[in-house]
Amino acid sequence: MSAAGTTYYDRRGLLGTLGRDGLLQIILIANTILMLAPIVIMVFSAFKTTPQIFQSPFGIPDFGQVANFAKIWTETNFLRYLLNSFFVTGASMVLILTLGTMAAYAIGRYQFSGASFILMFFLAGLTLPLKLAIIPLFMLMRDLSILNNQLSLIFVYTAMGLPTTVFIMTGFIRTLPSELEDAARMDGASEARIMWSIMLPLVRPAMVIAGIQNVVPIWNDFFFPLVFIQNDDLKTLPQGLTTFMGEYTTDWGVLFSGLTLSAAPIVILYIVLSRQFIAGMTSGAVK
Amino acid sequence: MKTNLIRIGAALGAVLIAAPALAQDLTFWSWRQEDRAAYEQFIDTFEAANPGITVKFETFEAANYNTILSTALAGGVGPDVMMVRAYGGLENVASAGYLEPLTTESVPALAEFAAPAVAAESMRSDGTIYAVPFASQTQLVIYNKAIFDANGLAEPQSWDELVTASQTLKDAGVIPFANGTATAWQNETVTFGLGSSLMGKAFYDELMAGTADFTDARFTDALAAVNEVAQDYFPDGFIGLDYPSAQQLFSSGMAGMFIGGSYEMATFKAQNPDIELGVFAAPGKTAEDAKLVGLYFDGGYAANAAGANKEASIKFLNYLASKEFGQAFANTLSNISTIPGVSFDNPLLAEVNELNKSSIPYLMLAHFRYGEPSGSVLIQSEMQKLFAGETTPEAIGEALTTGLAAWYAPFQK
Amino acid sequence: MPHLRMTGRGLWITALIVPPLAFVAVFIVYPIFSAFAYAFFDWQGLRRGEFVGFDNFFTVLFVEPYRSWTINAFSHNIVVFFALMVLQNGLGFILAYALWRELPGARFHRIAVFLPVVLSTIIVAYLFKLFLHPLFGVVNVSLKGIGLGWLAQPWLGQSDTALWSLIAAQSWHMVGFPTLVFLAGMQRIPGEILDAVRMETESEWVKISKVVWPLVAPSATIVFTLLFVGAFNWFELPYIMAGLDGSPFGSTDVLGLYFYRTAFGNVSSGQQDFGLGSALAVLIFVFIAVIAGIITVRLRAREIQL
Repeated sequence: MSAAGTTYYDRRGLLGTLGRDGLLQIILIANTILMLAPIVIMVFSAFKTTPQIFQSPFGIPDFGQVANFAKIWTETNFLRYLLNSFFVTGASMVLILTLGTMAAYAIGRYQFSGASFILMFFLAGLTLPLKLAIIPLFMLMRDLSILNNQLSLIFVYTAMGLPTTVFIMTGFIRTLPSELEDAARMDGASEARIMWSIMLPLVRPAMVIAGIQNVVPIWNDFFFPLVFIQNDDLKTLPQGLTTFMGEYTTDWGVLFSGLTLSAAPIVILYIVLSRQFIAGMTSGAVK
Repeated sequence: MKTNLIRIGAALGAVLIAAPALAQDLTFWSWRQEDRAAYEQFIDTFEAANPGITVKFETFEAANYNTILSTALAGGVGPDVMMVRAYGGLENVASAGYLEPLTTESVPALAEFAAPAVAAESMRSDGTIYAVPFASQTQLVIYNKAIFDANGLAEPQSWDELVTASQTLKDAGVIPFANGTATAWQNETVTFGLGSSLMGKAFYDELMAGTADFTDARFTDALAAVNEVAQDYFPDGFIGLDYPSAQQLFSSGMAGMFIGGSYEMATFKAQNPDIELGVFAAPGKTAEDAKLVGLYFDGGYAANAAGANKEASIKFLNYLASKEFGQAFANTLSNISTIPGVSFDNPLLAEVNELNKSSIPYLMLAHFRYGEPSGSVLIQSEMQKLFAGETTPEAIGEALTTGLAAWYAPFQK
Repeated sequence: MPHLRMTGRGLWITALIVPPLAFVAVFIVYPIFSAFAYAFFDWQGLRRGEFVGFDNFFTVLFVEPYRSWTINAFSHNIVVFFALMVLQNGLGFILAYALWRELPGARFHRIAVFLPVVLSTIIVAYLFKLFLHPLFGVVNVSLKGIGLGWLAQPWLGQSDTALWSLIAAQSWHMVGFPTLVFLAGMQRIPGEILDAVRMETESEWVKISKVVWPLVAPSATIVFTLLFVGAFNWFELPYIMAGLDGSPFGSTDVLGLYFYRTAFGNVSSGQQDFGLGSALAVLIFVFIAVIAGIITVRLRAREIQL
């Protein structure tokens, strides 16, 4: 990190620094334990039988004992929920990134009257709590006949994801140099051709940021499916989880393995891509 | 532009969800997801007897069923035949004119049904019947026979005996009652499942006649007694115990009794096939007091007033009102069918049916869910307060009476 | 729509801009405007009745029982907001400051603190609900295990612990977010400024309050605003942990639950009222917009001033 910070602290007396740093280190370690303990208990419990959970909640389980997971695999609709989540999130992301890039490209690359107004229009959607418009949305979905249909989710998520995406992408696209573009234009390439073959490959990093910023809330969303989706076969993972938790209340081992399984995809992805995740998810707030 | 988009979206949606509707194809909606297999069977029987009519059974989540149904009906895409709730829940749908009114001419069997059952599926204002009632539910005490036998206990005849029996179980290291009250609606179940006999039939009649309200000592004393039992004989921390955990305590044999509805019995059997269940009506003060269960009607089958196949729908309703169906319903689903003349093979069900002969309606659901705030919402939160030691029975009587006065005319002074 | 000359390029721009604009217009702008309109009508179920002016607003604000319900839920949102301000943002600032030092293991700590943030609220809510179970939950079991059995509580069943249990779960879930936003802010502080301050004072407190804090203030403005919007929109976590009724006896009721209950009904009151629900939504919306605006303007002013 910043070398400047290090120089600054280095001037401090060694003892003072040690004492202060010791305290900070203790705070960090305590906090990390606090952050990880619930997740560790959850994963451990997933491999235990219910009596084992009640008797020794902290005990290290036999990781070969996968009866709970087998039960989820064979007896529940879990896999269906998981696939639905992949489908809904995937479709929304494709739409968000496509449409978001289109808008951002138009605003960022071309001078036209109303460009700033349109950008403002998108930004207005940035902080609006759309949950509060759930009644009209519900009526709208009814009129479109897509209640109890995953299209309703995909459309809402797309609309919700666009403002941040346009915001992030426009900022990025504006910083791209125009030489390549101008050269291509001289050669008589069409605008579409320029966008597709020359500019798009350059915006990939911004797409990753915008993608992560949107993928987490969409994957995790519970509110809109709660209102729009009723058919069990169409439920996404967070919503399916409520059905599942209701059915297996007696079997805590299965409950914990259900929670573990639901958490697994995003946690694994996070651990692999933690830098991009942190950058992506805080990108709306950091400037 | 926007209208076009809506149109395109609508067309897209329609293509995706529309199924070609044939002339005599009925759709039948229900919130009983767990009963699907049984209903498929009933429908097979009906289809065999009525060639040319087919019925498609679709289920939705119980908690949101009303919303889904009224949405669909308002949007003109409702089912031909549907389950509807009773009481206030029925009026919500029926008052909007979505349901086909039924008469003893269109469904002759209705004439034989018990009056309260039919009333539960009628509009209070004009008595029009909108649905064929299907089941009644009973709020009572379910107990674990093996545990009672092991501790030499019999079904209590008076409140004191109930307390003594609970103490015996507690001394033996068994949780007397499994109930928890963290889940709001369980408070209502506990209150009336345990307190109905203490409140008594006379209180109920006077309440209905408008000569008594909830500040009546018979009502508040019952609440106090229920609270005492809860404090002493419910599990530790019962106010933080949610409904599924409470069921689990009972079905796993850790507790002796469970205050709940007759609908619980199937769940307990499913959770623990070896469990031997018994039922009794919670006793009154003395052994001589009438033992009353809280009785209510679950819902009914109704036809869509705007349905394309009304004739076939009515035919199907007639089947759903027949004794043949009622018998099959009772046998396969272990529910108390409201159809007269049905007999119960299951001895436990037969016993519940016997207990039903001495009952008062499950009070808040049957009479106080027609406005805001509903009696159910009030009693649930007030009882939670009482269990937490933050109110008194007298204050509850006051709160209920003044709260309901917002829309319940007899309480408006 | 802005007026465009329909040249080839104009068409191209239009083609790029219209589809995304249409999504935002249809699924965000239109519903939000409709919510305002709905609030002025009487509703029977899903059928719009007659225009009733401000009746619905009057009802939820001044007519019992709605009045007490509104006040009750609103007061809980306020508690939640301030509690999270301390527990989530305050702690986040301290953690960020600690992480800033790049002590050994900082990278690991940073990943750990942000891990809960990526989890679904539903998972977090269920996890804590199981942990707080009065009989078998890990919290009470361990308290009893170490001889502190008297501290064991029905956490979610008592009015004085239920809301705080939810707040604790929420803080655990989200503390990583302000932490890393603050950290990013601190990392951008130029070294020269820190050196200059070092010349003038030894006090850690002065450094934090006079230099670090003002310089991360832009991040703080956004973090505060997001927390505020989040706190007054709170729904998922109480919905799972306390139920739609805000059990026990409304002690965990918040505007989100109350709004949902009013609009869509629940098991115990079959009534669903889109008119009152919309009125509530509009009030919450206006409140959030006004206060969030004030927060932004006030805090922005401070940034410049420093």
